[in-house]
Amino acid sequence: MAVRMLLVINKSGGLIYHRSFEGDVDKGLNSNDYLILASILHGSFAIATQLTPKALQLSQSSSKNIDYTVPYIPYVGMPRGRTSSERSKYGASAPQGKLGSFKGDDFFKESFQSWNRSGVRQLCTDQFTMYIYQTMTGLKFVVACSQGTLSPANPSSSNNIFNIHVADNFLRKIYCLYSDYVMKDPFYSLEMPIKSTLFDKKVKQMVDNLV
Amino acid sequence: MAIYSFWIFDKHCNCIFDREWTLISNSASGTINSKQTEETAKLLYGMIYSLRSVTQKLSRDDTANDVRSISIGKYRIHTYCTASGLWFVLLSDYKQASYAHVLQYIHSHIYVKYVTHNILSPYDFAANENETRGQGFRKIGNRNFISSLEAFLAPMIAQ
Repeated sequence: MAVRMLLVINKSGGLIYHRSFEGDVDKGLNSNDYLILASILHGSFAIATQLTPKALQLSQSSSKNIDYTVPYIPYVGMPRGRTSSERSKYGASAPQGKLGSFKGDDFFKESFQSWNRSGVRQLCTDQFTMYIYQTMTGLKFVVACSQGTLSPANPSSSNNIFNIHVADNFLRKIYCLYSDYVMKDPFYSLEMPIKSTLFDKKVKQMVDNLV
Repeated sequence: MAIYSFWIFDKHCNCIFDREWTLISNSASGTINSKQTEETAKLLYGMIYSLRSVTQKLSRDDTANDVRSISIGKYRIHTYCTASGLWFVLLSDYKQASYAHVLQYIHSHIYVKYVTHNILSPYDFAANENETRGQGFRKIGNRNFISSLEAFLAPMIAQ
């Protein structure tokens, strides 16, 4: 649940946004290490495709059966414990401004396709779990959380598929923030590091809502 | 809940055992210690190695922060690293949460029994300096090891 860090990797493997939410995480890492981390994650996507087991390559039918649709999980990373009307009222009066886009208070309300079909989606280690969401254009959003799941409603969930879906929902909202506050910034040049205070603020708000 | 392949790597980055099943319906299908999978083994080792080096750098304290499993679109990689530098790697379908206990059992009950305790098995699968760093070619050919591993893993192939 506690988000340790968030990375955005552009389509050529460069790190364009990096933020850690716990002070002690990056004590041993400098910015160069983070660039290496981003390119290793990017490179492992290419290798992972090569490693597809023969059994899966041979049985085309079984690989077609895999459903890449990610279900919509309501209000991941949104203020909790209120009805939607109260939520919008609260959001309007909140000092940080409210989250959400022109499509509603929860960015999107439909299930969506995962474009991360042959790359790393989840990396479980002893201390944290990392989730990677890839967009259609090859941008990667990476989140590392200290517990196995990002779901505040179900903090002890050990169902990996569910955890991946929650993380995909969350990271897709970060992607929505990216398209609203980074892509619509006329002074932002593509593929370059993100230096937007508004994006920073909204991301922080969304991460805080997870706890 | 199917498993697709099983690999053992030693401390010299060599693949000392590999088993790949090609048909889910037939547990006897596939290859054992095949030459054709050498490149795959190197890729697999390289990917786990680099992800492992990253996660160990991100470790909060001095304990090694090992990779447990990597979920990749269609399948999932489970790893188990021993203190002696051996890696047990299992590729399964993407739904399975953890095979840590299976890999631990293979190490403690099958590998130790038939390879470590076997005085005729080499102490180190890299016989000299030239066979270290991924250049080794010696594999575990012990029939008892293979048959008991097959017997243990066969029920899991088409679960």
